[in-house]
Amino acid sequence: MRLPWHSTTLRVLTLGAIALLAAVVANRVAAPSRRLAWRSALALGPAPASPPVVPEHRVQPLPQPSPPGSEPSPQNPKPLAPAKPAPTPVPEQAPTAPAPITEISSLAAWQAFQAGLPFLDARRSGEFTEGHLPGAWNTPVWEADLEDRLLDFKAQHRPAAGDAIVIYCSGGECRDSQLLAEKLLAQGYFHLLIYREGYPDWVARNHPVEKGGR
Amino acid sequence: MSRWLLHPRLTLLARLALGVTFILAALPKLADPPSLAKAIWGYQLVPALALNPMALVLPWLELLCGLALLAGAWVRAAALWVGTLLLAFVLGLALNLAQQRPIDCGCFGTAGPRTEAERLADMRWDLLRDLGLLLLVAQVLAATAQRKP
Repeated sequence: MRLPWHSTTLRVLTLGAIALLAAVVANRVAAPSRRLAWRSALALGPAPASPPVVPEHRVQPLPQPSPPGSEPSPQNPKPLAPAKPAPTPVPEQAPTAPAPITEISSLAAWQAFQAGLPFLDARRSGEFTEGHLPGAWNTPVWEADLEDRLLDFKAQHRPAAGDAIVIYCSGGECRDSQLLAEKLLAQGYFHLLIYREGYPDWVARNHPVEKGGR
Repeated sequence: MSRWLLHPRLTLLARLALGVTFILAALPKLADPPSLAKAIWGYQLVPALALNPMALVLPWLELLCGLALLAGAWVRAAALWVGTLLLAFVLGLALNLAQQRPIDCGCFGTAGPRTEAERLADMRWDLLRDLGLLLLVAQVLAATAQRKP
């Protein structure tokens, strides 16, 4: 006997409903590192392209005292967009507005570390526990408690909108740093430095690392 | 269709193969939905709003369908879901392969670091595997459609 059409349809729908219910319950009881917000807090467009690379000499003078009242806020708009390219060739020495998100080299990342700039680790919390840059904050972009972790970071460091923040992840094809940078950019921070080569490069260069969670 | 193509033993084998495959695919995803969300994002085909709900529900759907196929219960409904999912996977892989965009399949959890060439090669194998699984689904659907009392 052929199964009635409506019976199969009902079963298809039932399987979908059970899966949805199971997902809701499982996500509610999952550990924070395995939990996923039903609505992502990230600006998830197409996978972003690499940001422009900033030369080392721009990283050196980064730790500057922030002027009072420069906390990012909707009432205090900041120059978030990069400068438009000039229609005519610009001499190399001409001053240009810095892009809000820039990519830094390994050397620049090391200089930023020595200068005491805050580092955000965008990798998963499990990877962070296995090893990270000393003093880095774990802000895993794909985990549900990202917002809380960013609040903790801001409460501790109180970064002003123009303060430099270095972000890194696993290097290579990893785009988590870029996602985190775009999130911070949307929150008003506009001096975001992406250490593109990331943690594997840091380890390969025998720089100090720290283990454990935060 | 030839009689041997609809033989109950072949259907049993197809059900078992599909069931085991989908259960094995579901387990690592259930253990780590954020990694699956990241993998789905890599396909650049799913709207941002649907990304996380898909990463949360898909593994459970795979597990339920896999169990149903193994147990022989609600076989046709499970096969229809599995076929739909496989069609979506094939489409996602094919579109990215056509643009030579190397992605992580995310089919059986996260893979280790690989070069772009290795990823593209893996995607071709994943595509072939999914097409083979689709043939098994077609067999199960054809066999259950002609079930006699």
